Amino acid sequence: MLERTGWGIWLGTPRAIYTVALSPLDESKPFEPESTIDLDGRPARVVRDIVESGDVRQLRTRTYLSEGEAETWKAFPSLHAEALARRAEIRTLEKHDIGAINDQIAHAQIALRAVEIAHARNATLRRLSLPLWALIAAGAAACAAIAVVIGRRLSDLPPTRRGFRPVLGRRVAVVLAMGLGLAAWLERPWGNAPVSDAQLAAAREANERTLAELNTQYETTLARKNELARHDESFRVEFVDASGAIAPRAQSSPGDPLALSQIVRAVRANELSATEKLGVYLSRWNEFLTDDPRESNSEGGVFPVIFGTVTMTLLLSILVVPLGVIAALYLREYASQGVITSILRIAINNLAGVPSIVFGMFGLGFFCYTLGGYIDRGPDRALQLAPGIWWIWAAAAVLVVLASLAFAMLSRPVPGQPATSRHRWLGFFTAGFWFAAFALAVFLVAHTPYFHGFFEAKPSETFRGRGLLWASLTLALLTLPVVIVATEEAIAAVPRTMREGSYGCGASKWQTIWRIVLPGAMPGIMTGMILAMARGAGEVAPLMLVGAMKLAPELPFSSSFPFIHADRSFMHLGFHIFDLGFQSPDSEAARPLVWTTTLLLITIVFFLNLAAIFIRSRLRARGGGASI
Amino acid sequence: MSPTMTDAPPSTPSIKRISLGAEPAAAHRNYRVIDAIRSGKTSTPEVHDSLANEEPVIRTKDFCLWYGSAKAIHEVSMSIPRGRVTALIGPSGCGKSTLLRSVNRLNDLIDGVRVSGDMLLNDDPIYSPHVDVIDLRKRLGMVFQKPNPFPKSIYENVVYPLRIDGERRKAVLAEACERCLKAAALWEEVKDRLHESALGLSGGQQQRLCIARAIVAEPEVLLMDEPCSALDPIATLRIEELIHEVSQRYTVLIVTHNMQQAARVSDYTAFMYLGRLVEYGRTADLFQNPRLNETEDYVTGRFG
Repeated sequence: MLERTGWGIWLGTPRAIYTVALSPLDESKPFEPESTIDLDGRPARVVRDIVESGDVRQLRTRTYLSEGEAETWKAFPSLHAEALARRAEIRTLEKHDIGAINDQIAHAQIALRAVEIAHARNATLRRLSLPLWALIAAGAAACAAIAVVIGRRLSDLPPTRRGFRPVLGRRVAVVLAMGLGLAAWLERPWGNAPVSDAQLAAAREANERTLAELNTQYETTLARKNELARHDESFRVEFVDASGAIAPRAQSSPGDPLALSQIVRAVRANELSATEKLGVYLSRWNEFLTDDPRESNSEGGVFPVIFGTVTMTLLLSILVVPLGVIAALYLREYASQGVITSILRIAINNLAGVPSIVFGMFGLGFFCYTLGGYIDRGPDRALQLAPGIWWIWAAAAVLVVLASLAFAMLSRPVPGQPATSRHRWLGFFTAGFWFAAFALAVFLVAHTPYFHGFFEAKPSETFRGRGLLWASLTLALLTLPVVIVATEEAIAAVPRTMREGSYGCGASKWQTIWRIVLPGAMPGIMTGMILAMARGAGEVAPLMLVGAMKLAPELPFSSSFPFIHADRSFMHLGFHIFDLGFQSPDSEAARPLVWTTTLLLITIVFFLNLAAIFIRSRLRARGGGASI
Repeated sequence: MSPTMTDAPPSTPSIKRISLGAEPAAAHRNYRVIDAIRSGKTSTPEVHDSLANEEPVIRTKDFCLWYGSAKAIHEVSMSIPRGRVTALIGPSGCGKSTLLRSVNRLNDLIDGVRVSGDMLLNDDPIYSPHVDVIDLRKRLGMVFQKPNPFPKSIYENVVYPLRIDGERRKAVLAEACERCLKAAALWEEVKDRLHESALGLSGGQQQRLCIARAIVAEPEVLLMDEPCSALDPIATLRIEELIHEVSQRYTVLIVTHNMQQAARVSDYTAFMYLGRLVEYGRTADLFQNPRLNETEDYVTGRFG
């Protein structure tokens, strides 16, 4: 029984293995139809004959490496191993060497395009005059110096004895220093120098030279790879089935025998002992788990799928746990329990019930298009403000921040005395100013004329399309309510006596939280993380929109910087099952793979849960019995 | 009713009368202070002159505390003497725990608490706008009713106050741990398992651990809120011995509802009722020669 890399199983017996070489036929020269040569100390038969393809006649030389069924079966394992090694080498050449050269070519093109874009922007550039810039930079430095001096004087006093005016003055100085420093940085005269025509021409020349070099490298490597492929192709094996036909190399040419490297596995199915059958079964499992998929996902392995699922789940848990824990800490420890916190809790619970496809749409619209588009290309032409107007808005933002700082300081009541209504109103205005400052900051970032995207020169989408990062972020939002609720319960379960004990020892609120409350709540936080991972690993609907692909050309990891490519699409087990079952060209052939992949997904989720339960019980044993 | 003890602290006054049955005598006796309290008039407490000779470490002057709109402590003026054990006794709800927790401002953690009047620690005001509460709490040590060791190792429990103060040198921490565990009479029992969880100790051992934790930062006053009420009699005995030893170096302010314990352990006793100070003086005087009828009736068990 023969398992081929394409077109499935072939039943038959091997007859011979030989290498084939085609050469042009010289009609005038006679040739020896049969001869014997010495191959590694053994005699090997060489047969020559004429083949016609179309109206071209060629001389075919076949060097037999083994003949007859028994000999072929004996020689098969070693020859097959060699063929597989050759195939692996060809693949390495393709992926790494040729891939690296392609990467370098792409980089060169992008570099040139960046220079071209900078040159094109010359026309719209308007630089600040140098004296004015120097004034702004000096102002920034002066404000920073004032802040440092006031800070030094204040640090001699304990925090509660510092006067209102010096503290406010230092904060004003810090904000002004930051604002003026930002202005000086954005309008710096170096680094933003316009690109001259001469520089553009030089860049073009350098680019052409690099491309020529890379192309020659590419040609040599390609030639080498082709040579290897040709050599590999020459190894053929004749498998004869019951009707006498031989297994073909391609469906279109039934007389051309199968190449040795097209065979995945050949076994003498009727003569296998029980252990050997088990061996074949295990080798199939090994292939399933470690190989790449073939035949539009209906054959081969699911290794990249497993990799993508696990990577996404890990990234998801890294993102969701800090967010959830911080939110739960705020709700439980810092926020005053009133109407606002009740509303927040209701909103969080509702978030848990939102259908996951809605999250997918949100992820697509906000993360992929809006945020991703911003990262790639900066604000749209339509959104960019002229620099002058932008600075007016920036000055307004600075004023709002200063007002909020002043109001914040005035709205703090004397410790030990209850807050009066004046304090409440001042606090209300402070909150309003902070919101306004935040909104202004978002506005300024979204409409800035100074940022043109990190990947502006790349012609294709980087972060604007689907990718690992956005998929993990979307699923993190989806599983956030679970983590928040579990963490809140865990924090509330830390007994009050323990907190009082900590305060009695003279700890501050944050020290108590960091040293007593959070470690005590850790089993509950782990529970939340388990539930989030288990839920996130299985959700498919948002991934269909935001990240998963039918067949990803490469893993999200690579050996070149930045090693983790969070902008690449990935494959996911849940999506793979859907794809195999409903979107493959031959669903009958894919059926076994559907079941196996489902089993694998369940097993992975199960082991994730098990691992986290183990971690939780270890923490519980160390902590000496917390309540969750 | 008095348990027999092997090592009784030196000044054990004998209780004058032990009352076993309920005697409806309270109605006939003249309770000057309590009647004044009940009829809403201001009452002056009986403060013995023996206190005038002592150097005060904590002084309160017309200290009042409100939980929301309910007044819990009414114009308490007293001074806690330095280097002595002072006990606060009184029936449940009389404000003694509240007064104790006011000293290290633990009541700040409760919403709606309001204070007025002065409280001074070594002549530093406790309730003033400029006070750093964390700093204040570091100068005081507190032991609670139910032992509350942290879910950490014994060593980490004891050195916790030093760690949050920023001390990281292993030598300093280890030395402090050993010193305080020895002072708390726990060293011999746990010296081989310092890095095991503190929750594996028995109740009495946990309370001694909490006492060690309270004294590791060399506090000016050690505050104890009914430290033995959750323990069995043997453990209680050991804690009382410990208090006696510890009081050689530190001032102790202990709240207890057990009058015999107050009699055994303290040098000075203050009797509080309904949030007010009723009588305050040397323990021996209060138990053997109380000036007020209500004090005598309370310490003999007639009411409360």
